[in-house]
Amino acid sequence: MKYNLTGAGLIEVSLGIAFVFTSVAAAQAPATPPAKSSGLNASESTAPAGGSANPDVARRRPREVAPQGPTPRLPDGHPDLSGVWNGGGPVGDLAQGLAPGETIPILPAAKALMDKRQSKDDPEANCLPTGIPRIAPYPWRIVQTPTHIFFLFEGNIHSFRQILMNGKHPDDPDPTWYGHSIGSWDGDTLVVDTIGFNDKFWFDFRGHPHTEQLHTIERYTRKDLGTLENKVTIIDPGDYSKPFTLTFTARLRPKEELMEYICQENQQDAQHMIGTSGPPQNP
Amino acid sequence: MKAAFASLIAGLALLAPAAALAHHSFAAEYDTKKPVTLKGTVTNVEWTNPHARFYLDVKDESGNVNHWNLELASPNVLVRQGWSRHTLKVGDQVTVEGAQAKDGSQMANARTVTLADGKKVFAFSPSDAPAQ
Repeated sequence: MKYNLTGAGLIEVSLGIAFVFTSVAAAQAPATPPAKSSGLNASESTAPAGGSANPDVARRRPREVAPQGPTPRLPDGHPDLSGVWNGGGPVGDLAQGLAPGETIPILPAAKALMDKRQSKDDPEANCLPTGIPRIAPYPWRIVQTPTHIFFLFEGNIHSFRQILMNGKHPDDPDPTWYGHSIGSWDGDTLVVDTIGFNDKFWFDFRGHPHTEQLHTIERYTRKDLGTLENKVTIIDPGDYSKPFTLTFTARLRPKEELMEYICQENQQDAQHMIGTSGPPQNP
Repeated sequence: MKAAFASLIAGLALLAPAAALAHHSFAAEYDTKKPVTLKGTVTNVEWTNPHARFYLDVKDESGNVNHWNLELASPNVLVRQGWSRHTLKVGDQVTVEGAQAKDGSQMANARTVTLADGKKVFAFSPSDAPAQ
């Protein structure tokens, strides 16, 4: 058996869009003008600047055209976070969200567990949920009501998160993939406090672990029309020596609608995976 | 037509958001050090999640037919890039460039699929390659 080998380079499938971004005003018009519009700030990118040689690492191209405009608001004055978004959490490595010079305060036993984990066992590769704060590289939608906020995920898996506005955590929640989330407003920032996680999901392709003690506090701020910042604090004394905060940025995908994505339909990947994902090779 | 397509792809490259592959680690499944070029006949197309797939019968130099399993992006990603479930058909003669599975099975991630007449179907812009 002989095949012609070529010098094909790295394969990277872009989670692309089919059509040119145009006006989003119709769907996203602000009810009242915001105090300011910060515009896009390249330093807020969730990915290492300049792209990556590793296809497992999400990256944002500096030349990407993003929708511009002020933060939309609801009649009650709160920012309107609704829309179809992409990104906003770790994909390949939790450390993508660290500020320069910071490290993840992982405890030795958790580090040993991570180093042992094989990619074939990643729940996400096996069509199970990402948990929090991991995000799949597929669009997702925020649906906002005064009492509930829903995150609808297109991909991996085709599921949703439910945030109870001004609700209360149960005393002894059953451990679940997305936990129990309550939301409140801190000025223009949506604060989502979540407990009651199971310990099954991985934070990223690398396999950063957590325990059922995990408690996350996500702070979502729509900086402008096209930019949703997620500053998430991870508190898990079981696997990390102290709380730490990561920053990720989701980008608006105007003109897109969520599509069906049933991951279990034809999953053939996990059984062919060998070894660990390893650290992303950022240039 | 070709030119129009090139423009579409170039346009996509300009506008594509953060690139990310899939629901799993690419590096753990495919070996970019094992690039393959496969020429053969499409025997089946699965327009399914988490990845669209197609199957190729490839004759080796002894005339033996080998069956390859080729992975594409998810149908949703492909549709957003302008492809459809009708883009590739059973019986098409194609040339595939991709990376073979690390475990050595006759499975690969297809980066480009080119029809016998030179028309590219399921191709990703070179701009999707690392840093500009």
